[in-house]
Formats: sequence, structure tokens, C-alpha cells
Amino acid sequence: MELIVKKRIKQVLKGDQQAFGEIVELYKDRVFHVCYRMLGNRHEAEDMAQEAFLRAYTNIHKFDVDRKFSTWLYRIATNLCIDRIRKKKPDYYLDAEVSGTEGLTMYSQIQADGRLPEEEVESMEIQESIQKEISLLPDKYRSVIVLKYIEELSLKEISEILDLPLGTVKTRIHRGREALRKQLRTL
Amino acid sequence: MVHLMHEYLDEELSAEDEKKLKTHLQACEACRTHFQELNRTIAYVQSSSHIQAPENFTQKVMNSLPNEKRKKAGVER
Repeated sequence: MELIVKKRIKQVLKGDQQAFGEIVELYKDRVFHVCYRMLGNRHEAEDMAQEAFLRAYTNIHKFDVDRKFSTWLYRIATNLCIDRIRKKKPDYYLDAEVSGTEGLTMYSQIQADGRLPEEEVESMEIQESIQKEISLLPDKYRSVIVLKYIEELSLKEISEILDLPLGTVKTRIHRGREALRKQLRTL
Repeated sequence: MVHLMHEYLDEELSAEDEKKLKTHLQACEACRTHFQELNRTIAYVQSSSHIQAPENFTQKVMNSLPNEKRKKAGVER
């Protein structure tokens, strides 16, 4: 995957904008997923994921081809989400509740169809609770948990993306896991 | 002990400490529960269903890219 991406980046650098579309296709789901877990809201996640690709495009000449493109791209997306969370702190918790409400609406719609097996509905409810608990984590813990368990990145990659010493990443993961454990133990 | 659990979860525990942790877990119920809860938490977080970007995502990104480059690309071709 990285090889194809590097080829496309070279094309983009030569002015071939369409080549960038292929890069977006390859990474859109994962970038969106990261943003969604960070922000807990699909609409905002889409905005941030779009913005992340736009920034990647306008800064593509700054990308060092000897490094992993995905790490660079996640770093852009993660930083955008963190900035967003910091800026809108006061109504952030309200948003988390809204995302829970979306789930309820989705739940009632599915129930009206009456086709989904009970356990799937149940797991969807659990999904919503998990998402809610993740979005209630302080952002410094949330970002490391999302990168480690949703993106499955190594501690070293996380430390690169967040520009933090490895020791700090470890401490945050430990604390983030503990915080989540306390929140999720009743599920 | 909790510290050892986290080191274990990060796959950074030495064989010696791992043995120490396992022996302790067999003997201590409180730690065993704690450890199970941590593992369950991770399983929950990872169980998140596959999430896909919204429809037309790529097209929207492409439409948002600066125009001048597009023109330049056309000229170069």
C-alpha cells in the first residue's frame, strides 16, 4: 500500500490532482474512523476528515517520502480533532449526548423494521455506550486510546504522531485504560 | 501489580515479571477482577463496528482542493 501511495504522491507533486483522489479513496475510511472516535459525532468527523485531506494535499511537498504516509496523515487528522475539541470545550459534553441520541433514533428505526436479531441491536446499544465513554475521556487519553486500539498503531508510531516522548504515551495509555475500565465495568 | 498489568498489555513485560504477575493473579481475586476488567475494556473498544466514510467523501475532498493546481495540471498535460 505504501508503495502505491508513494507513486501517487509523486504524481500529485507533478500536478496530477486526480492521483490525490486515489490516495483519498485508500485512506478515507480509516481517517474518518479516527475522527469519529475522537469527536463522537459523524457530522464533525466528516468535516475534520475532509479538512485533514485538504491539508495533506496543500502540504504534500512537506511530506518526507522516507516515512510512512499513513503516520503523517493520521497526525494531521489527530491534531485537527484535538484542536477542535479544545476550541469547543464548553458544549462538548452536549455533543456527546447528541451522539447518544442519534443512536437511540437509529435503534428505534431498526426496531420498527423488526428484522435485526436481538443481539445485534444489543451490541449496537453497547457500541453507543462505548462511544459515549470514549468521548468522555479527557482528550489526552482519548487520542492515545483511539490510536492504539482503533488504528492499532504501535507505541512508537503514536509517539511520532502526537510528538510526545514514548514514556508519556505509555503513561497516558495506562491511565486511559484505567479510566475506561472504571467507566465500562458496568456494561 | 496494576503497573505490571499495563506493561503486560503493552507487551513490554519481561518473562520474569510476567511469571510474577501470573502467580499473583492466581492468588489474588481483586487483581484478577481488575485484570479481567482491563481485558474486557480493550475488547469493547476494539469491537467497534466497521465505520465507513460518508458517501461522496472523495468527491467532496476533490471539490475542495485549490483550483489553480487543477489548471496547472491541465496545462502540463
